[in-house]
Amino acid sequence: MDTPHYVAARVQQAIAEDGRTNELGIRVDVRGDQLFLRGQVSGEDQLHLLTDVAREAAPGLTVHNEVTCVEVRDPGEEEHL
Amino acid sequence: MSIRVAAVADIHLDPAQRGSYRAHLDGIEERADVLLVGGDLTRHGTLDEGKIVAEEFQGLPVPVVFVLGNHDYHSDAEQEIIAVLRESGGIVLDDSAETLLDGRLGVAGGKGFGGGFAGKSASEFGEPETKAFVRHTREIADRWRVALKSLDTEYRVVLSHYSPVKETLAGEPPEIFPFLGSYLLAEAVDAEGADLIIHGHAHAGTEKGMTPGGIRVRNVALPVLRRAYATYCLDSEEC
Ligand SMILES: [Fe+2]
Ligand SMILES: [Fe+2]
Repeated sequence: MDTPHYVAARVQQAIAEDGRTNELGIRVDVRGDQLFLRGQVSGEDQLHLLTDVAREAAPGLTVHNEVTCVEVRDPGEEEHL
Repeated sequence: MSIRVAAVADIHLDPAQRGSYRAHLDGIEERADVLLVGGDLTRHGTLDEGKIVAEEFQGLPVPVVFVLGNHDYHSDAEQEIIAVLRESGGIVLDDSAETLLDGRLGVAGGKGFGGGFAGKSASEFGEPETKAFVRHTREIADRWRVALKSLDTEYRVVLSHYSPVKETLAGEPPEIFPFLGSYLLAEAVDAEGADLIIHGHAHAGTEKGMTPGGIRVRNVALPVLRRAYATYCLDSEEC
């Protein structure tokens, strides 16, 4: 089996370079046969695509997708400079 | 007289999100005089995504100024994206400057680039690939100086995608700082003077920072703001 360190690097690279995701800020950690994704994306469908791409890049590992969606609230207060 | 600047970056629109951001722009004219959008407009940098961005910001009652981000370059369609944004009435800065609001506000900038921060940055030395990387940032910074010099306005704001300082990167892993911005950008703006620098790109960063010369820097990446846009009022005496 591959060293977890390199598996994590390969999954992170896949998430950045795969056209379905192209997400650069996702953190990937591997512990034993468990793989964890953390970070933020802008939509629900991207959440599922992250899981797909991670599974394909690391077959045999259990993917735990802990990535959240960015919630966009109303503009709010202005800052005086 | 004061000017209210609305700013956001990293909206990363794709076809699935068509119309979703626009809803947040209703009533912007009551909150701001201008909207600055700091790059990473799209997810993959395709012309189709560029058209969605153009539609999203078309016909707003305030002028909209864009720069592109690294994602908008991914499909080698950046010039086409710039063209559709301009056709839809947007202003796009590409290491250039524009005067707005009857000559009261000047906005200068472009996407910027990386290289790292003073004392811990890449140098124009060694392999051609390394030299080209650093030279790209240096040439951008030089063009920003020229752009800023051309502005003779009451207020000057710089709009970038990459960060000029590391303070607004706090929250990002320090190992990737050289890919998030360059001090050369801050150095150029400090030399020419500006009232505010807006940037994005660092999704896990922090909103507020300052250049070594004391110019306020704001990271307005959508995941940092968690609101549709930030509003900054220049000249606090009147706001
Ligand atoms: Fe981004
Ligand atoms: Fe970016």
